[in-house]
Amino acid sequence: MTLLQPGFLSSLPVQNALLIGAGAALLSGAAGVFTVLRGQSFAGHTLADVSSAGGALAYLLGISPLAGFFGLAVLGALGVEAAGERRAAGRDLAAGIVLGAGMGITALLLYLDVTLKGHGGAAVAVMFGALFAAPPGLGRAVALGALAGLAGLGLIYRPLLLATLDGELARADGVNTKLLGGAYLLLLALAVTLCAMAVGAILSTALLIGPAAAALRLARGPVAAMALAGLLGLGCAWGGIWLAYQSYGWTPGHVWPVSFFITALVLAVYAAAALARRG
Amino acid sequence: MTRLGLLAAAAALALGVGMARAQPVLRAVGIENQYANVMAQIGGPYVQVSAIESDPNTDPHEFEISPQVAGELAAADVVVENGLGYDAWADKLLRGGHAEVISAQRVLNLPGTTQNPHLWYDPATMPAVAQAVAAAFAAKDPAHAAYYQARAHAFDASLQPWRDELAQIKTLYGGTAVAVSEPVADDLLLAAGLKIATPFTLQAAAMNGTDPAPQDVAFQQNLLVSRQVALYVFNLQVQDTLSDSFRALAQQSDLRVLGVFETMPKGAKSYQDWMHGETAALAQALAASGH
Repeated sequence: MTLLQPGFLSSLPVQNALLIGAGAALLSGAAGVFTVLRGQSFAGHTLADVSSAGGALAYLLGISPLAGFFGLAVLGALGVEAAGERRAAGRDLAAGIVLGAGMGITALLLYLDVTLKGHGGAAVAVMFGALFAAPPGLGRAVALGALAGLAGLGLIYRPLLLATLDGELARADGVNTKLLGGAYLLLLALAVTLCAMAVGAILSTALLIGPAAAALRLARGPVAAMALAGLLGLGCAWGGIWLAYQSYGWTPGHVWPVSFFITALVLAVYAAAALARRG
Repeated sequence: MTRLGLLAAAAALALGVGMARAQPVLRAVGIENQYANVMAQIGGPYVQVSAIESDPNTDPHEFEISPQVAGELAAADVVVENGLGYDAWADKLLRGGHAEVISAQRVLNLPGTTQNPHLWYDPATMPAVAQAVAAAFAAKDPAHAAYYQARAHAFDASLQPWRDELAQIKTLYGGTAVAVSEPVADDLLLAAGLKIATPFTLQAAAMNGTDPAPQDVAFQQNLLVSRQVALYVFNLQVQDTLSDSFRALAQQSDLRVLGVFETMPKGAKSYQDWMHGETAALAQALAASGH
């Protein structure tokens, strides 16, 4: 087994996949650290599941999947925010109900995709990702989205960190925590959208919180954790793409799903971080 | 309702059933509309034929069963299905029913491992299916057996212009390489003596909606960009981003593209008309390709 099979880097679908994976990993690494610190993993998963309705809608309307996923993720964020629940238990409840409604709409839209438009593979692509079948321009769009998201996160970084660590102190300091929380949810919506481009809606939470949780165990300080989470996520995404490419010869003529390799690597990274911290 | 009313209703129902039986009509169903079309040609006025899958905008692989469909199948005397898993849902509904089920796969003696299920694109398929249909109609309605046999012969003869056209393409362009999105028309292309350069694994991934191997995608892109093929053939009834991107690439490379239908389109007058039209379009595209 050669380390780099011929044609890996010159292959257009691989280049596209690497760009999508990088954009998703870098933004979700940074946003994921806040998600873990704020205890909003479930909210993140909710946005991802709701965004799947946008993915299904994009097939139906023939628009870019990025626009579809992001549009519905933003709607999901507004829904979670409108529920406006402060207590953690109530927040999970509101998120769970929004999630259920979103997935129900996804079921309807996927049915219409298949019966009206003949998109046979839509369900698997939306839910579990089809990275090597991504439209050619998607890589650049995801990279731009990631840059915009990182810039946005940089703008609200200081007040967001303060509000995350000590909400009372932040309010006493004059920070509008409600507005800040809303802005953060929009960033989260963008991060899960980019993850959904890479590994599909259902699996996008893995890329959002896995590398971040591992980095928080290893790094000192939030900035270091964000950088490390981005790097770990990048390693998982690119490692998964490389392994999927290699798998061409394992079951002749087929590649195993990229999403399987990426999520497996995320689990391995998280387990290794847990062991390193204990050892 | 009074007892008298009930009796009257039962009598009317019995009379209705009796009248329907009195008509010399068989009911037949073609799971895909191309089979239904051939059945209608064999049955003529004596067989009432309906089709289950006939919407050219949807992909038959993704068909979902409704109670109406189950009812149609239960009422049918003869059913033609494709087989090879293409319409496996019908097998389950037909089990235990009274219909004589003709499977194109079984008629052609194809093993279950046959990779390409689009059998009706093979010029050998429909004459054999037509024979089996005529035999089944004759068994269920012996009074018109001679008529059904004669229609089957006439059907076979009517395919001759199509076979001639395929033979002519083979003479003129035999061995020419073409690229395809999925295997839908592969049997026709092979019958015309063309070489399909697209890896079958890529075609299968497109047909089954699974993730394609990037190696295969790169191979296909290279076929199109370096113009190693004369044209790109795609399925008009399936939309996916990958097939669309191949089509765009083919057009950028100044290659001819040819859309084919998976099931019989509304505009086609008959199965023969459909196949002949697509073959004529293929000949035209090959002539214009300059290969």
